[in-house]
Amino acid sequence: MAEPELLLDSNIRLWVVLPIVFITFLVGVIRHYVSILLQSDKKLTLEQVSDSQVLIRSRILRENGKYIPKQSFLMRKFYFNNQDDGFFKKTKRKVVPPSPMTDPSMLTDMMKGNVTNVLPMILIGGWINWTFSGFVTTKVPFPLTLRFKPMLQQGIELLSLDASWVSSASWYFLNVFGLRSMYSLILGQDNGADQSRIMQDQMSGAAMAMPADTNKAFKAEWEALELTDHQWALENVEEDLMSKDLDLSGQ
Amino acid sequence: MASISELYDVTWEEMRDKLRKWREENYRNSEQIVDVGEELISEHASKLGDDIWIIYEQVMIAALDCSRDDLAWSCLQELKRQFPDSHRVKRLVGMRLEALERYEDANKLYDSVLQDDPTNTAARKRKISILRAQGRNTDAIRELNEYLEQFVGDQEAWHELSELYINEHDYAKAAFCLEELMMTNPHNHLYCEQYAEVKYTQGGMENMELARKYFAQALKLNNRNMRALFGLYMSASHIAANTKVSAKVKKDNVKYAAWAASQINRAYQLAGRGKKENKCSMKAVEEMLESMHITMS
Repeated sequence: MAEPELLLDSNIRLWVVLPIVFITFLVGVIRHYVSILLQSDKKLTLEQVSDSQVLIRSRILRENGKYIPKQSFLMRKFYFNNQDDGFFKKTKRKVVPPSPMTDPSMLTDMMKGNVTNVLPMILIGGWINWTFSGFVTTKVPFPLTLRFKPMLQQGIELLSLDASWVSSASWYFLNVFGLRSMYSLILGQDNGADQSRIMQDQMSGAAMAMPADTNKAFKAEWEALELTDHQWALENVEEDLMSKDLDLSGQ
Repeated sequence: MASISELYDVTWEEMRDKLRKWREENYRNSEQIVDVGEELISEHASKLGDDIWIIYEQVMIAALDCSRDDLAWSCLQELKRQFPDSHRVKRLVGMRLEALERYEDANKLYDSVLQDDPTNTAARKRKISILRAQGRNTDAIRELNEYLEQFVGDQEAWHELSELYINEHDYAKAAFCLEELMMTNPHNHLYCEQYAEVKYTQGGMENMELARKYFAQALKLNNRNMRALFGLYMSASHIAANTKVSAKVKKDNVKYAAWAASQINRAYQLAGRGKKENKCSMKAVEEMLESMHITMS
């Protein structure tokens, strides 16, 4: 059954829709700067730096090994992958997954993350719900089922109203996620106002331990290096070179 | 004495941009940097804003190169006042001590930095350069090896190590370092050429073949590398002149050497065209190639 189109007061657009957009955007920018102020220094240990560089070297060996002579390539491959004392076989880093309870720095990081991101969202969402309540704000362009009514129509007590008509609180949440791309335009990539990225980080959570990663990374590199073969790129370099005269012009 | 801006008729923005270009491309033209930088600092300090700190650093290092201790000291004072606890500024203090040959004091300073932050590469590298300045090459080599064990990716360090090994005539290890550099920079013709030269110096049939191949690779990457062209000619002639090679190898190498010689001739001809002495210089090139021709004695 086609519902007659509801005509909303244009004041709603002026005084509700636009202010919510501005509020959300400004809060996001403020969050970004606050997160920069509260950022703690991440001190890398010597071991972590060294390991990351070793992994890079091994990867380069795999990719560009064809530019060095076969003997040298085999020598390096042997150094890394040898059964008994190759680097990847021999080095086992201590795996200490930093659980939030035991590792104080992780705890404070998590707390700071929560304070700067989740708390404002809840506070402002509640405030908007309280201020801009009692009327319909906007209509989502796709039809929704009745189950969404209590969630999206907070404060509107109309049983027969189509679930597509939503209140200001839902418009606020829509903005929070929608303005992400605006933030990357204005604040540059990797900004502190990016809400959904924070939530993703929290989900992958405390188990993003570097130590565990290192051992797995070593194993993965070992396998990849085992599979690489040496195809010398310089096999026919003289023939290639002498097929035509040298280009001696140019700057 | 006229200032730079009057002599060359440049504005302060152009001077600042020139300094930035020299900084980003790692030029070591210290006298020019001192002249331009000194004027920029004394006349236009207020207009530079926050750029001034990095210019202080750049000018200070250039001043140390030119023995301008007064200028270096004033730059250092400004930086110390602005960044009192910075490791980067401590490194500059250490460099000044090195310039005054107060190596013990410099070493103590760098050790304190390293105690504070063990991952600080700048301090470790300065300690190694102190050893080099004192002529203690073997110690420098040992320290550099330890450094590279931790920081395998540092290309500057690999290059420095290869130079040290060449000075000590340990060509096999120098070749190893250059191989690392070639892997990380496969399109850099200079590393290929240096590697080929080391292999050529090592001598022996296998190394000569490798040298020839890498000279060819360097030429392929940059057609105008004359050193590589001469190297190709020499290594090919060397192999061809050896009595113990098979006929096919000899024939191939004679062909390569002939091709290299013709390219050398072409290069000198192109370079000299339009000049009167071209005929004489062409004759000189012919004679040079003849004299470089290797015969087994």
